[in-house]
Amino acid sequence: MNLLDQIKSDFSAYAAQAEKDSFFETRNNAFLELEKCGLPTLKNEEWKYTSIRKISEGNFTQSCVSELDAKSLLEAGILNTIACNKLVFVNGCLFPELSVFLEEDADIVISSIANARKGNAAIITQHFGKYAAVEGQGMVAMNTALMSDGAFVYVPKGKKMKYPLMLTNITDATQHGIFQQPRNLIVIEESAHGSIIENYIAIGEHASFTNVVNEIFVDNNASLEHYKVQRAKGETYHNNFTQVFQNGNTNINQVTLSLDGQWIRNNLHFYMNGQNCNSLLYGLYITDGSQFVDNHSRVDHAMPNGYSDEKYKGILRDNSTAVFNGKIMVHVDAQKTNAYQRNMNILLSNDATVNTKPQLEIFADDVKCTHGATIGQLDEEPMFYLRSRGISELEARKLLLNAYAADIAEKIKIPELVQILEEEIERKL
Amino acid sequence: MLSINNLKASIEGKAILNGINLDIKPGEVHAIMGPNGAGKSTLSSVLAGRSDYEVNDGSALFMGKDLLALSPEDRAREGLFLAFQYPVEIPGVSSTNFLKTAINEKRKYLGLDPMEATDFLKFMKLKMEEMEMDKSLTSRSLNEGFSGGEKKRNEVFQMAMLEPKLCIMDETDSGLDIDALRLVSAGVNKLRTPERSFLVITHYQRLLDYIVPDFVHVLYKGRIVKSGDASLAKELEVKGYDWIKQEVESAK
Repeated sequence: MNLLDQIKSDFSAYAAQAEKDSFFETRNNAFLELEKCGLPTLKNEEWKYTSIRKISEGNFTQSCVSELDAKSLLEAGILNTIACNKLVFVNGCLFPELSVFLEEDADIVISSIANARKGNAAIITQHFGKYAAVEGQGMVAMNTALMSDGAFVYVPKGKKMKYPLMLTNITDATQHGIFQQPRNLIVIEESAHGSIIENYIAIGEHASFTNVVNEIFVDNNASLEHYKVQRAKGETYHNNFTQVFQNGNTNINQVTLSLDGQWIRNNLHFYMNGQNCNSLLYGLYITDGSQFVDNHSRVDHAMPNGYSDEKYKGILRDNSTAVFNGKIMVHVDAQKTNAYQRNMNILLSNDATVNTKPQLEIFADDVKCTHGATIGQLDEEPMFYLRSRGISELEARKLLLNAYAADIAEKIKIPELVQILEEEIERKL
Repeated sequence: MLSINNLKASIEGKAILNGINLDIKPGEVHAIMGPNGAGKSTLSSVLAGRSDYEVNDGSALFMGKDLLALSPEDRAREGLFLAFQYPVEIPGVSSTNFLKTAINEKRKYLGLDPMEATDFLKFMKLKMEEMEMDKSLTSRSLNEGFSGGEKKRNEVFQMAMLEPKLCIMDETDSGLDIDALRLVSAGVNKLRTPERSFLVITHYQRLLDYIVPDFVHVLYKGRIVKSGDASLAKELEVKGYDWIKQEVESAK
């Protein structure tokens, strides 16, 4: 059965016994939107270079069942060197044995959405489905209509997370193809601070499709560190839609690291709903084989005095492909906006492809915005300089590529994560 | 140490070197002077192994080995060092990491174990004191944001660290004010030993006031047309290059 038919049949099964679900109206609206707009195709401008043909063919199973035990899950690549809170989901379902809560302040909630709906229903209802709009977004609509479980993080007014949350999603496709739709809701209240690491890994030979939606609300004077580490090896298809909604005087640092995975599409959207918002969007993708990585971003400067800085860097080998599309939208009220955007790519093979499109749309008249994209090879001059000092071509290339990637690594505020990234870069290069 | 015989080289089909003959023995300092476009920088590039140039004829033996058959890195490991006219800025590569990699790559080539991290740092500290280098230079990215003088001093510092047998200095004086020139020259003079040789390429004589050569050669139209001792440089300073050009043309 193809994916859309499967969704339709799953939704009617859900709807038949959903009267008591407080999400029903949101989910039903999403489903109606999905029926209306369908899944994206190459004819959709935002999906021009990104084919979901393999995904829409379906043949995935939604199932929490995994024969893996906690020990083998740990070995599968949870980033264990970092002292952090932990939530682990396997095929979309919470694996409670591996949850860790280190925070001393019990007012901070780190839970699965399913569990949190019992005790924190009011906050969830207030935020759920309010930021990730489904209109024209088939993938978001599909997630909203039929989400699996996911994380709920709630940092109340004035509270600060002392440790990051490592939110690990494991795809176990050892038995059959897997389809999961993680849904995370992160609420950082006024003057609070949160820190989240999304960590994606996969095991097994079968194909999988993971369709994530993150809704993130950051209230006045609050801050958030948000990292994504995508290392789901094998035939994994990963669609990640993140909508950040930020009120005034907020600081958000977001770093996306795309390392493993057959097919990755990231949609990262920021909406600045107050003055003096500060949004940093950084990304690094290192691809080889026939990997495909697409980073779409959108920053809505809706209010004055906003600052956004975006830098995505890629290193491509073999016949891998990358897509970058960054849109900065400066609304008519967003005077004194400073917005910077760069996409840089190094191609290490003749068969690698990059499609990049930096975009600025400016409706205010007193702003400072720049954007740009580069695609090239490693520069000859630094290469020769290093070799003339006795460093082999291979080592010289490593030094230069590490230096190129270090520019993004240094945006990460968790030293252990930087170290892990350095090891991953070493592995990938 | 270096024996160049009838070396001819071109770039994009254009002949630049038209038969260079030069013999450098251990401990000697040779200066190559000449007007713009004579082929001075081409000579250093060809010797260091820059791939843009094509060697059309001739040979260069370095310590008895066919230099032109070696990769740039192997030339360096054999003991050749090129001090660049324009040292490259490499953001993100720390000077310390760069030097450690370079030293250990050379040691590997020579069949030696890599230098331990602590030994390396001790060695570097020693060399920094010797060369009067500012500590901050080595903690920064390689040449990034360095002034012209700092870049050239860093070249000489690398030379001290890598302990080459033959140092080729490509227009080291270009872009230096007199104080920087003195500092750089003082560094080079500290590195002069009875075994180590230098090939100093320069347009102006003033560098040779500080690094006094044993031999001076004039390069013109890709050939060495005149050789002499340090006094030849003084003569060129007074008379310019025109009289040499005339000598060459009238001899045809």
